[in-house]
Amino acid sequence: MAAKIPEVTQISESDLVRLTQEARQEATPTFGKIIWREFKNNRLALTSLVLVITFILFVIIAALFINTPKMMTTNIMDYYSKPFNKNFILGADSGGRSIAKQLIVGSRNSICIAIGLTVISSTWGICWGMISGYFGGKVDLVMQRVYDFMMILPMLMTIIVIVTIIPTYNSVTLTLILSVFYWMGTSRLIRSRVLAESQKDYVAASKTSGTSNWKIIFREIMPNISSLIIVDTTLSFAENIGVETGLSYLGFGLPLGTPSLGTLIANANDPENITTYWWTWLPAALEIIILCLAISYIGQAFRHATNASQQ
Amino acid sequence: MSLLEVRNLKVHYPIRGGFWNRIVDVVKAVDGINFSIEQGQTYGLVGESGSGKSTTGKTIVGLERPTSGQIFYQGQEVQQNKLRNSVDYQRNVQMIFQDSLSSLNPQKRILDIIAEPLRNFQNLTADQEKLRVLQLLDIVGLSADSLYKYPRQFSGGQRQRIGIARAVATNPKLIIADEPVSALDLSVQAQILNFMKKIQRELNISYLFISHDLGVVRHMCQQIAIMHRGRLVEVGTRDDIYNHPQHIYTKRLLAAIPETNVNSRQEHRQKRLEVERIYNEQQAKYYDSNGAAFALQPVSMTHFVALAPTD
Repeated sequence: MAAKIPEVTQISESDLVRLTQEARQEATPTFGKIIWREFKNNRLALTSLVLVITFILFVIIAALFINTPKMMTTNIMDYYSKPFNKNFILGADSGGRSIAKQLIVGSRNSICIAIGLTVISSTWGICWGMISGYFGGKVDLVMQRVYDFMMILPMLMTIIVIVTIIPTYNSVTLTLILSVFYWMGTSRLIRSRVLAESQKDYVAASKTSGTSNWKIIFREIMPNISSLIIVDTTLSFAENIGVETGLSYLGFGLPLGTPSLGTLIANANDPENITTYWWTWLPAALEIIILCLAISYIGQAFRHATNASQQ
Repeated sequence: MSLLEVRNLKVHYPIRGGFWNRIVDVVKAVDGINFSIEQGQTYGLVGESGSGKSTTGKTIVGLERPTSGQIFYQGQEVQQNKLRNSVDYQRNVQMIFQDSLSSLNPQKRILDIIAEPLRNFQNLTADQEKLRVLQLLDIVGLSADSLYKYPRQFSGGQRQRIGIARAVATNPKLIIADEPVSALDLSVQAQILNFMKKIQRELNISYLFISHDLGVVRHMCQQIAIMHRGRLVEVGTRDDIYNHPQHIYTKRLLAAIPETNVNSRQEHRQKRLEVERIYNEQQAKYYDSNGAAFALQPVSMTHFVALAPTD
């Protein structure tokens, strides 16, 4: 008769606490600690992180105190009011509307859409890529044909058409419409890594240990491509700010009366505005540049940290 | 009744080609092999690379799908298409991989790696689980400090012992050892092999020991099967194979064992060349027109050789 494992060793329950204690002292730092250390040593990334978080919190909270319909009413007396006066810190536009307030509410709208878009499209893209890459064969074939179909659609044109025909059109539906078209890049990127990763022996070992396919995908493989996921997500967040902004700039973004970074930049359509009334578009443009730069610095620090933990 | 019996196992891979992606040919990785493993025994499966020995191991453990053939576990047929879902079989047949680094998930701590089969097959509390892992670490000669470390922090030999601990965790009856020491240097090889033998004695485990190293196989196995081009060419006890080889391929493999005696270097060289010459000349006597080995013929009670049918 085969002996059981407890009969072969000296270790029993009485040693458990002591040995656990010993092991804890020797434990390797966790992922969170490694990231914290990376940010502490990387001043630029830390500054960027603080800047982005405080800015996002500021615009979300400040926007709650601004009455948007009242702000957006035209006031002919303040036509192109100059900046740095006591009523308008950043001046006013052709409708006499405060640029500073529009910037706050517009940033809130643009950033919230970008966050929503990133969360939905990245989650979808990651799941699509991982399932397609892991199962391979017929599943992969079908899923990749869907991908191909989505890729050949003229994205911008389709979005513009959908935006003009749907009855209820607000920032939520806009986010959902954009999400349908922005998951493909992520899915292809993730799929290529999962294809390589799922051939490794630890996946085979998990299978022989009786772990289910879904658990293998999301608990075994996903941590191993976390650096790719984090970097891709931060960069696509920066990109997604541009998506909504670009669409609003073209006039197909958020409905009229809802300010966004794109509508503010659209002021630059007018050559008069570019030369004379610079305050109508410059703050929004600067904000986007700084925000995207800061996000990419954060992404870089994340990549360093995840690479360090994956060595 | 033997622990595991393999009957006429075939694993063929299709080669697709042509305009309609039709199956134009098949690779016969494993082409009809029979063997059985007794409780507590080490069964050696030897062959050159590409002879199908690893495929055989993977098919038994359920990582590859057999084209045809049957596998009997303790006298009961294992349904091949449900092989991965059969909990009892899964728990009792485990695997040790060749590459110790890639077979351990780099993102998981040792505790989670060894506990993975326990979590899937046994309901233990967190403390019981930790205790079991500590006991397993003790069996394979690792200290409790390893509990919260990552695989990359260990040497090759230590990692292979972690792999063994994981395979042993659920008290299996059979372990498929797929070249467990091929990636290790000689001193560590001996250490790992002795651990495997010790665990076998204590827990009464059977091994299917897959290797191309005849020296290692001689040390480990009582029963040996030589595999070539997907078929068994010679099956017998250790004595049969090493002292009375009958098949030219076995003779050729044995002649390839490196000899350290410098004084008789010329002699060994002559012998090797002689064996090689016979091997090339007598192909027709031992292989059929397609280059496949013949069916096994009994030579003695324990010894079987693939010889041309004598009718």
